[in-house]
This record gives sequence, structure tokens and C-alpha cells, in this order.
Amino acid sequence: MIFNEIVTVLDNVEISKNIYEAHLSSTLISNSSRPGQFINILPSSAFNYVMRRPMSISYQDNEKIKVIYKPIGPGTKMMSDWSKGDKVDIVGPLGNSWEYKGEKEVLLIGGGVGIAPIMNLYNQIKNKISSSLFIGARTKDEHFLDHQPSKDIYISTDDGTAGIKGNLYDAINSIYDINELKKKTLYVCGPPMMMEAMRLLSLKYNLKCYLALETIMACGIGICQGCTIEKDIASTDKDTYRNKYELVCVDGPIFKSNEIKTCLL
Amino acid sequence: MSALKINNIIFNNPIMVASGTYGYGDEVSDFVDLSKFGALITKSVTRNPREGNPPPRIFEVNSGMLNSIGLANLGVERYVEEKIPQLNKIKTNIIINIAGTRIDDYIETLEILESANSKHVGYEINISCPNVKEGGMEFGVSPDMTKKLTKELRSRTDKLLIMKLTPNVTSIVEIGLAAQRGGADAVSAINTVSGMRVDIQSKKPMLSTIIGGLSGPAIKPIAIANVFRLFKNIDIPIIGIGGISNSDDVIEFLISGASFVQLGTINYKHPNLINGLMNEIENYLKNNSTQTITDLIGKIDV
Repeated sequence: MIFNEIVTVLDNVEISKNIYEAHLSSTLISNSSRPGQFINILPSSAFNYVMRRPMSISYQDNEKIKVIYKPIGPGTKMMSDWSKGDKVDIVGPLGNSWEYKGEKEVLLIGGGVGIAPIMNLYNQIKNKISSSLFIGARTKDEHFLDHQPSKDIYISTDDGTAGIKGNLYDAINSIYDINELKKKTLYVCGPPMMMEAMRLLSLKYNLKCYLALETIMACGIGICQGCTIEKDIASTDKDTYRNKYELVCVDGPIFKSNEIKTCLL
Repeated sequence: MSALKINNIIFNNPIMVASGTYGYGDEVSDFVDLSKFGALITKSVTRNPREGNPPPRIFEVNSGMLNSIGLANLGVERYVEEKIPQLNKIKTNIIINIAGTRIDDYIETLEILESANSKHVGYEINISCPNVKEGGMEFGVSPDMTKKLTKELRSRTDKLLIMKLTPNVTSIVEIGLAAQRGGADAVSAINTVSGMRVDIQSKKPMLSTIIGGLSGPAIKPIAIANVFRLFKNIDIPIIGIGGISNSDDVIEFLISGASFVQLGTINYKHPNLINGLMNEIENYLKNNSTQTITDLIGKIDV
């Protein structure tokens, strides 16, 4: 069931340098969403652009949901101006969700604002499944978690100001060898280059790996067919429909790494 | 009070859903009440299934969006099997949008739909898709082809026949007249406006097909100009489309000569815009001592 819900901003906090978390009161969407799903946000009734902004849900309980975003474009900048009590028009929950039933050991990998669906899953499973969390950013100020290897929480920074110096790919490989990785299921969301590196790694060593993708989207519900990505083994049959492309909004946003041809959209 | 009609088909209100923006109705049935629209025009269906164009297919611009979907759809046979049963349940007029690349494609698709157990009241014929390599657009830019296609389809259906016109022509009036002469019941205007954007860093176009179609508020003035031109020159009703985002826009199209309008790109942003729209239009009528919506049509003061 998809809802068009008017929610209230409960809080809108800068959790690290130029990264915000908005808390939204929601009963309908919060109660029916699963980790990995997203909402399509109208940043303001005065928003002059024609597309809502799709955002992964970073947290949900019975009364609220949260999203994490970085003010870059006109939509996210408007969101950073939200204050307590503002009404916001959202559509959701949308898309598929992370699959984690029966997993024994998981590795959660989030880069940049790609941490949103990763944190949602982490909070959901950390007490039930053996979980390691890797969060990457360019520099220390962009992190909101501390590097805590004893708790299996690792952070990386490109400039080495906190945690492991380097990108997430290097950070993971510095902690685990391939035999250890083979025991784990990988859940990944972040910048396209990082996701592509993880996708290729998973294919090379036959790792079980889920990727949460982001594309430009207009409707978010499978109608406009704007958010396509190519399937890994695209059918070459003539006159087919949906044998060649997946829709990120309804077939995803989460795909197994062997289902798609590339993360570089 | 004159009813809102095209031929013998009555519409509850003049506001229709533009093709491709509410799919086949099922995708939005959770949260949009489609019975509030005068009609639902379904996403273009073609004779055979189509994958559509490679990504990227859409790009957002100031007050609009560029798209080049390439008529991705499941084909008419699956449409009849999978979509018609649920469309039959929607309590508003259903108009099926048909696209094609050859005259025979259109004819075969229409004939299959004519023999289906379907309650649809008519067809909107997409002769103006700018995003298909093999044609489609060729019909919409040629008066002769438009008339020929309209005639062929007219002879095969008694249901409403609406030709959807492109603005990407020298004279939309010539094409509108050709549709009228071919026996169309109405025209809808306009389809998307040819458009393109380029990334200045990579020097690559924003769409895989390089050029796509622009929709949204950015094209509203272009649409109104074309509706007005058609209104001055053709006798069949005009269904206005292009960047409508609120009740003022609806009224502006009606005053400029449209008898009906379609909501398109706005449906992605405001899926429930229809809810308050008719009340706002009623208020306008009251405040302007106008009895009915039909009294507004073409009442431009020039």
C-alpha cells in the first residue's frame, strides 16, 4: 500500500558537517515501511521544480520516520530550511527492501548520504545478526559516528583525519581477507564508484551482495519509466518489455550485485 | 446547462489524465481517486511490446522535465489480457492512447482493442512521439499522413477518435485541419516540445537519445499559443495539454479555446491535485458570474 501523507517536521538537525537528518511524524508510512524503502518528498508547496526528491528512510518506528540528506540542489536546500511544525507532503513507502532473513554474518557499507538505508538496516538487525558497519566520508567532520573497532563499527576518511585512511573499499580489505568476506552478506549504499567497486569485488569472489541504487526519478511508482538501469544479462530478443531494463523505483532500489550491468549511472 | 461532451460521450468534468502519467491506473489506485477525473488516458500502447530507450531517459530542467522513454510498453495483446480487466473497474471514462510506427501498427492495435471486452470510450492517437527512431513523428508532421491515418482508423471505430498533435511543426493548424478532415472527433495539443541539454563537464547530452521532449510548466505558453491557433481554425473540440499545474491554468486553457484539458507532468509532483481543482474552478465561475465551465471555452477577449 502506498500513501500520500502530510507529515509534520519534528526535528531537522545537522548531524555532521553539512549532513542533515529530518525527523518526520508519520503513522501511515512509518508503520508499513521496511528498511531499504524510500519516500518521495515534496520539499515545499512553493517548490518550482517538477520532480519530488526520492530519499531512503534512515529510521522508522510507529510514529516517525527519518531521512538523511546533504543540501546540494534546490530541493535538499529547501529541506534544510524545514523547521519544527512544518507540514511536508510525502509519498511512500516505495520500492523493495533489504533481504536479510537467515543471514548469519553481515557487512553493512555506507558512503556519504548512502548511510541512510544502511543505518536503517543496521538498527534493525544489530542485536539479531552478527553485523559489522563500515561508514566512509571524505573527512572527520562529515562523520557522526566514532571509529569503534571493538563494536565492529569502522569509519574511513579519504584524508585520514579519523578512522581508517582511504576509501571504503580499501578499509574493508584492510580488516577482512577474502575468506572472511566470503562468509558475509554485503549490503552497500553510497557513491556510484564505491558501489561499482563492491559490485565487481562481489562478482570476482562470488560474494552475496546487495546494492541500493540511486537514480533520477520522476514518479517513483513505476509509471514514468524514467529511472531505468540495464539488467546484467539483458535479453536480446526482439519485441520484449522489461527484459532488458529494470526500473530502480519499483524493481529496486535494491538489487543483487549480479542482477545489474553497472552501478555507474 | 450544457453538458461536457464529445459526440455522445459525457464527461463529469473537463479534466483528464494525460497519457503516461498515471500508467494504466493500477499503479496509483492506492492513493489517487481516479473517478474524480473526467477521463483517464492510458499510457501509449503499441502493436508489439517495446523495451524503450537506454538510460538516461529523463532529466529535470527549470520548471520542466526532458524525457525520452521511447514508448516502453507491454504491447496490445498483454494490455488486453492484463490491463483491461482492471481498467474496466475504474469509474471514469477510459481513453486508450495508441502509438505506432507504421499505419498497419495503428490499425492492428485498434482492431485488437475494438474486439476486446473493454469499456473504453475512445482512443487518443499518438502521432507525435518525438522519441522513437522509426517514425511516429512522421505522421504528426505531415498533413497528408495525418489525414490518411485518421481516415483509416475512423473507418474502423465508432468510439471517440482523438489525434494528439505535436508542436514541433511549421503549422499545427494544418495538422489539426487534416485530423478534422480525416474524421477525428477531437484533437489534443500539445505533445512535448523538442528539447535537449548537455553536461558541460563531460560534454555529453543528458539523454541517451540526445534530443527528447520537454514537458511541464516551461511549455505552458507554447501550449496555449497552439491551442489558440487551433481554436481559431478548426471546428472539432480541442483538449489542451502542456504544463497545467493549478486551477488558474485550467481556466486559462479553456478561455484560450480548449474544451477539455489534461494534467500531465504535474501528476508526478502532486498526485492528488485533482482533489481541490473542481471546487476552485467553481469558485472562479461564481466570482465571474459565469454559469458553467462550457461558458468559458474560447471566451478570450481579443
